[in-house]
Amino acid sequence: MPWAALVAAVVVLALQVRHARRTRAALVRRLETAARDLETLSQAFSRFAPAEVVDDIIAQGVSTRSEKKDVTVLFADLKGFTPLAERLDPVALVRVLNGHFVRMSRAITEHRGHVAKLIGDGMLALFGALEPNPWQTNDAAHAALAMRAALADYNAALAHEGLPALAMGIGIHRGTVVAGIMGSGELLEYGVLGSNVNLASRVERLTRAHGVDILVTEAARAALDRRFHVRAMRPLAVKGLAEAVATFALEGFEAGVPAVP
Amino acid sequence: MAVEWGECVLPAQPVPPALRAELRRKIGAVPDWASRLGRSSWVAGTLSDFIEDPVAYAPPKLTALVHLVVSQDNSCRYCHGVQRAVMKILGYRDDALDRLLRDFHATDLSPAERVALDFARRVSRGHPRPGRAELEAVAQAGFARAAVAEIVAVVAAGNFANRVATLLALPPESLERMVAHPLFRLVRPFMARRMRPRLRKPEPPPPSNRPWGRAVAALDDSPSAGVLRRTIDGALGSPVLPRRTKALMLAVIARSLGCAYSEGEARALLEPEGFARPDVDEVLRDLGSPRLDAREGRLLPLARETVRYQAATIQRRVREACAAMGPDETLEAVGVAALGNALCRLSVVLDAC
Repeated sequence: MPWAALVAAVVVLALQVRHARRTRAALVRRLETAARDLETLSQAFSRFAPAEVVDDIIAQGVSTRSEKKDVTVLFADLKGFTPLAERLDPVALVRVLNGHFVRMSRAITEHRGHVAKLIGDGMLALFGALEPNPWQTNDAAHAALAMRAALADYNAALAHEGLPALAMGIGIHRGTVVAGIMGSGELLEYGVLGSNVNLASRVERLTRAHGVDILVTEAARAALDRRFHVRAMRPLAVKGLAEAVATFALEGFEAGVPAVP
Repeated sequence: MAVEWGECVLPAQPVPPALRAELRRKIGAVPDWASRLGRSSWVAGTLSDFIEDPVAYAPPKLTALVHLVVSQDNSCRYCHGVQRAVMKILGYRDDALDRLLRDFHATDLSPAERVALDFARRVSRGHPRPGRAELEAVAQAGFARAAVAEIVAVVAAGNFANRVATLLALPPESLERMVAHPLFRLVRPFMARRMRPRLRKPEPPPPSNRPWGRAVAALDDSPSAGVLRRTIDGALGSPVLPRRTKALMLAVIARSLGCAYSEGEARALLEPEGFARPDVDEVLRDLGSPRLDAREGRLLPLARETVRYQAATIQRRVREACAAMGPDETLEAVGVAALGNALCRLSVVLDAC
């Protein structure tokens, strides 16, 4: 009888050990999966916020880091989109708009910028915000030219489907902004603030008045590679500024100057 | 580490006998990279010199970990695979290495090792550039000044090797296959005995009146100082690419990383080449100038891209930029880009000494 009890105890112990091992192995697998997910998330997040901000968030759950940064702001908006939105059915409208955003975002990221925000049919992109970039304004100007070319391609595809062409205005400005994690508990994002951000948006509005698609401010032009072809425009007043703003139409780069629409 | 990796940019060719003999003497074998890189004596010589970790003060275990962490951070498929294989030979288990790479703060490393690895990663990333406070933190964790300086040198060496391997898309070493073989356990103790890292003896410091002399001198009598001195002199003295092309590439990389010291050293090299301050300013402002030749016009934008990159993208860019160049020139251009990145990391040491 004592032998039977002993054997039973050993069997129970063995089963418990096996159960514990299986539980441990399952936990290790879950931990590894979670670690891989975290790594993927961390890499993905690095496209939207500076590495040190991502590190803060991983280590502490939040980043209170905010700082003044010299960045180049590119603001792009579709011209005459509101009447177009009223004519198209919602499904086609969203498809057209998303196709546009995909192409423009690609042009921006391929030139080391990142899309900070979509605002209706407009987009705010930053250059030099996630990591120092001495050539940030050149990158923004190259991105703008790539966006121009991408829009021309997209319009050809839309025309093939019998859809109307899109027109876009782009404003580029360089200056100091305040950058950091902003928002409430429900919605947090890495963003920028300041009059220089607003100025890029105001300059984008001036593309309508000047009848061009890409405008850069004097501050942006001063930082541009001399191989960019720019044309000085008449200074115009913008909302929020006492003095008229001098702008330059961006026409192309070096010999291969694309036609200005 | 899953990283998209292209075909090697350079063809394999017979390994020069002197390099073969040197590698056999050092590690008892000729690694596969020798057949791709042997055409440049200074690039191959640098990698050969760094195989033995020329350190006299930094703990060997730490330098191995630094190589692993830096190669992971730089997404270098080649170096990471090699270092992982080396560490398996030295007795590390796969699960331990995985735990370490997931989060070295959560593994059984000492607090001092964690501080040192964190510091090494910051030096490697280059932004924000570690300053005196970070160097002090490593010293306070229990490392001597000379050891801290060597950690910086190991990171610089890692960045050199990572860029050479990634930019050229070096294929995985056969060492990786060897450690995966079922019979590996039998030979591991013998291999470990041969490959066990050992501290080397300090060496007389090299002369400091040469390019990047102040940064190299900060390593004092560490054997890594001599290796870096030979690398810099070899790169600048090589006749494959003009000295001014190399100095321009080094200046662009320094500007990109915000390293004023390295930019100053590169400018000093350019002055005798007829590039006065305003000329260099123009090049650095536009990454172009009427004074550049066509090859420089392609290599300077490439140099900038070697600072931060995705492996597959930079490999494609190297192919494009070097399409009109022969293998010797391509290897030298990649070596110079790698050296520029390494020197900017090395210059962190100036804050320590």
